[in-house]
Amino acid sequence: MQKIPLNLARPGMVLAKPVSRSDGIAVAAAGTELSDSLLDRFDGMGVTHVVVEGEPVKLDGPPGATSFDKRLERLDFLFRKYANNDWMLQIRRLMEHYFRMRAAASAAKAQPAQESGDA
Amino acid sequence: MEDLRTERKDRILAVRDLPTLPKVLDEVAKLVDRPDTTTEEVAKLISMDQVLSAKVLKMVNSPVYGFPGRISSIQHALVLLGFNVLRSIIVSTSVFEVMNENMVGLWEHSLGCATACGVIARMLGFKDTEEYSVAGLLHDLGKVVATVQLPDLKPEIEKAVAERDLSYLEAEREVLGFGHDRINAWLADYWKLPANIKEGISYHHKPHLAPLYPEMACVVHVSDFMMRLFEFGFSGDVGVPYLQPEALKHLKIKPVIFEKLLDQMCEQFVEITDLRFT
Repeated sequence: MQKIPLNLARPGMVLAKPVSRSDGIAVAAAGTELSDSLLDRFDGMGVTHVVVEGEPVKLDGPPGATSFDKRLERLDFLFRKYANNDWMLQIRRLMEHYFRMRAAASAAKAQPAQESGDA
Repeated sequence: MEDLRTERKDRILAVRDLPTLPKVLDEVAKLVDRPDTTTEEVAKLISMDQVLSAKVLKMVNSPVYGFPGRISSIQHALVLLGFNVLRSIIVSTSVFEVMNENMVGLWEHSLGCATACGVIARMLGFKDTEEYSVAGLLHDLGKVVATVQLPDLKPEIEKAVAERDLSYLEAEREVLGFGHDRINAWLADYWKLPANIKEGISYHHKPHLAPLYPEMACVVHVSDFMMRLFEFGFSGDVGVPYLQPEALKHLKIKPVIFEKLLDQMCEQFVEITDLRFT
């Protein structure tokens, strides 16, 4: 799941959360596949972000959008002070396993959207 | 040295000068102390400050607290959350308002931590989960107030973090003579925050030593660890803090539950990204 700015949303991506207008009225349900016309309508309603399945877009900017691949790479640095601490190394392994699983799951989910999105 | 510490403590506690702390808070506190006061009276008094009311309502309706439906009035919020939580929310909106641009990262870290506390408290089946969220929101209050009240010392702390790879807490202790956890305890007394929230914010680095409300301190501790693991927001230094094994033991969090917590947290991140209250 990833929150992306509307201008990066492409037809074929699937909504992971409903889209609401600023006044709170829902205009599209989770599970809806995006199309050009739907994206135009969102744009017209002033929707700025959508939440889509998988991680189809490489975003570096906003917090919480960092991909699980990237979190894996960061583990060494984040745990740098506990190289000799068995307990923290155990926690580190747990996190590594978790991020690896999530990264794999995201990659699998995002694939269809990416194919049609890049076409 | 002792004199210097006392002087710094005094400067920190000169928070009367905080420009944004609403006068209404004092008046409300007086009202609440009287036994015959009704919720309507308290709500009416808070509602007179419209800017404050709007901010409070925005906060209580945010995904951080996870209430279903909309809370549309201060009175409704007061009935749902109680005065202690509402009071803490007023303090948090006021304090974070004085943050300048380069403290946005700390705001995000606090918001993330509040959300994580709520997720953990709900998953463990605790009562009054909003109180955990509020403790998470306020857990780095001392950093904000120290920055505002002792602006001349902030660069020194940052330098120690950058050059010697100290944690922010270690650097504070070295430069100020005390950490933000200690400042939190002073501020909690000063603003008369409830005892459980006081322990949550002043023992979040040593939750196993919290005398009365260890579960509150443990929840904040684990949430803080998770936010730094996910690097959600910026709390002042990069890297995970030591995760106290006692905290997980006390909360009975096993690896399976830990993974479930992480799953829920990931869902929530998406919701709280971009939240602003000022």
